[in-house]
Amino acid sequence: MSKLILTVDDSASMRMLLKATLTAQGYRIESANDGKHGLERMHEVRPDLLITDINMPEMDGFELIEAVRGITDFRGTPILVLSTEFSDEKKSRARSAGATGWITKPFEPTKLGAAVRRVCP
Amino acid sequence: MSDELDEIQAIFFEECAEGLTAAERGLSAMQDGDTSSETIAAVFRAVHSIKGGAGAFGHSALTAFAHRFENLLDEVRAERIAAPPETVAVMLTALDVLSDHVAAAQGTIATPDDSGSLAALDAILNAGGASAPTPAPAPVAEPEPVAVEDDDPFGFEPVAVAIDDFDALDGAPIDLPDLDVKPAAAAEKDAAPGWHVRFGPSNDAMANGAEPMLVIRELEELGGRVTGYDASALPPLRELDPENGYVSWTLELPEWCDEARIHDAFDFVPPDSLIVIEREPPPEEPTADPVSDSAQEAPEPQAPVPAEPTPAPALAAAEPAPAKPKARPVSDARAPDHGSQTIRVDLTKLDMLLNLVGELVIRNSILSDRLDSEDQERVELPELARLTREIQDNVMSLRAQPIRQAFSRVPRMLRDLHAETGKIIDLETFGETTEVDKGVIEKIGDPLTHLIRNAVDHGLETPEERVRVGKPEAGTVTLSAEQKGARIIVTVADDGRGIDRVRVRGKAVERGLIAPDANLTDEEIDQLICAPGFSTAETISNISGRGVGMDVVRSNVEALGGRVDISSVPGKGTTFTLVLPLTLAILDGMVVRLGGQRFVLPLATVVETLQPEPDQVRSTTPDSEVIEVRGQYIPVRRLPRMFGLERGERRPIEDSLIVVVENDAEGQVGLLVDTIDDRREVVIKSLEENLYPIRGLGGATILGDGSIALILDVDALTAPSLHQTRAQMRGIAA
Repeated sequence: MSKLILTVDDSASMRMLLKATLTAQGYRIESANDGKHGLERMHEVRPDLLITDINMPEMDGFELIEAVRGITDFRGTPILVLSTEFSDEKKSRARSAGATGWITKPFEPTKLGAAVRRVCP
Repeated sequence: MSDELDEIQAIFFEECAEGLTAAERGLSAMQDGDTSSETIAAVFRAVHSIKGGAGAFGHSALTAFAHRFENLLDEVRAERIAAPPETVAVMLTALDVLSDHVAAAQGTIATPDDSGSLAALDAILNAGGASAPTPAPAPVAEPEPVAVEDDDPFGFEPVAVAIDDFDALDGAPIDLPDLDVKPAAAAEKDAAPGWHVRFGPSNDAMANGAEPMLVIRELEELGGRVTGYDASALPPLRELDPENGYVSWTLELPEWCDEARIHDAFDFVPPDSLIVIEREPPPEEPTADPVSDSAQEAPEPQAPVPAEPTPAPALAAAEPAPAKPKARPVSDARAPDHGSQTIRVDLTKLDMLLNLVGELVIRNSILSDRLDSEDQERVELPELARLTREIQDNVMSLRAQPIRQAFSRVPRMLRDLHAETGKIIDLETFGETTEVDKGVIEKIGDPLTHLIRNAVDHGLETPEERVRVGKPEAGTVTLSAEQKGARIIVTVADDGRGIDRVRVRGKAVERGLIAPDANLTDEEIDQLICAPGFSTAETISNISGRGVGMDVVRSNVEALGGRVDISSVPGKGTTFTLVLPLTLAILDGMVVRLGGQRFVLPLATVVETLQPEPDQVRSTTPDSEVIEVRGQYIPVRRLPRMFGLERGERRPIEDSLIVVVENDAEGQVGLLVDTIDDRREVVIKSLEENLYPIRGLGGATILGDGSIALILDVDALTAPSLHQTRAQMRGIAA
């Protein structure tokens, strides 16, 4: 069974773009529109990889990552941040929250795929 | 796939529109002194999302501009730069440019000139700024004009730049030697080892999902290979916590590897892990250098091979994951996508649904007409009717949206108007949350735009003029919406000079619209500005003189089943009131008979019905009859007569039924009808597809027995100007 990825992004077009891109590369995709729903979905779908945006209403990406890392079952789940931001400050915040990697939007399908395969082969 | 992309892109543009609206709202609030962090965060997020999506779809100009805009917003959000009104004004202008960029990306307009706005943004950044003015544009702002169209293996169009990811922590992604360098590198060069790397993930690293195996794999991709490991810290099996890191590895990488790339591999490995990256001394180093491939059999000094069968435990420690996936039953099928809390539905589907519900309502009526009450109970018709009604309400609410959408483009328009005319304009809005049928919202956009341009262009005076007449320098345009019964009242008011009736009259005479000696009331003169082909602007200005006059506004509104009222006080201002139907489809009505024909009165307008006593009736002239109801005089309109349906002798009022209706302009008016038949919901069928608008009639409907009834337009019937149109109406109805 192909690997399952949960994408969390408040933009519907971004979710669809991710889904289209990653589905084409053999992954199964579930999605949520903000951190809060993302956390609920984590429990429901238990993905192999979480890809999350940072700037979201309700619960932002940092909070989501911290919350996910606080759950024993998800301590080993890789988490990639997908954001248009790329300041070192943000990256180190993501890292201390427990993120595994950082991908900068906009992404190119092949490179996104390569990055995803690196943490979720 | 390209279709799919188009579809996603269409959704992106919808999001842009929403984002622009949200940003507009936020910035307007900031302008009014709202400095809460949520507000600025919402604006930031809106612009940020637009940038993100724009990049993905390759709209480089939009991306670049959004990026620069976002820079400033980010600084404000982080409270490194304050946002006084001047700054907010710059941001509002930037938002306008952003909105133009979005339009340009959609292909509706040419790419806007954003240099002025960018300069203003940068000026603020540099002035108030921390050290980070525009450091960033590099990656995003120069999306190398990739224009490759078709050769994407995944069927995607070129998605601008890839800002690669976590191997680019330094934000300089362009120089990634990525694909060229890595693959067969190790095999290709057996050359002397250049880099010596030791890596031992800390417990934290394991907790961050930083899979050591994957780090090693990445180093291998760079041309490295594992030359040894240290598992001496490995505890006995029963004490082993698979989530902790016990093992460290030694790797060698070729000397031509970029040091930064090696460091990058450890980007997300927490700093408390063991990471040693050293350049190996040059090959002429004396000691046992593992020169050849035999290095595998001759491990490095610090990689003592333990006696126990370490490989297995080492693996287990290195890969805590394998145990888990099994404990993770992936429940794919269940639970629909929570990501879509809202779904977007094609409006035509909703319309079809609405139409079907309308038919359902009609069938319901037919059933209740044909069955006696016992049968109705037996087949549970009342329950069916209730359900139908609920479905109907729900479908209607699906189409209802806050009128804010129609109001949202106004601030921008006023800024443009300010720039064009130099008039200072304050905007006040009320009732933005009033929910209106989407069809109505869409159709009032243009009339509203015109009325506002009109208010500023013709209504408001220049600042100097205002000061001269003792008004505040800034003119006020008030935009409000409220629901009254089944009507939505939208007003556009200005506190300007009011309608210049002398000039309007002069113009009307000049244009041959009225006779020079016509005797007109003030209201009638005001109405003239809605006459086809009327324009009072001495110079056709670029603003309201677009060839679309008030007559078009009026006919647009009337096409919606609404009307335009004008009230103006010289020197004080003008108010345009649009009275619009709440919905375009279904009406709660009272079925009345006039001269044997059935008509439907909208129930929402009905106040009461009564049969007057003789002493209630007062009449001055035959054309002006009133009834006294609880001390109040109510004018009576004889509907059968108005429609030319009066048979035989005129009936005295006291023998007739009067339906008292309320009209916004006229107050209460009594409508004389022959009988009242029923109260029922009717589905409005437009007459205007086939007939010219008929004043006094709002549409037609099909009654339960399948016959057709005309729907009365109460507002038009009670309006004072009706006297003029009565003859015309009689002609049509006869």
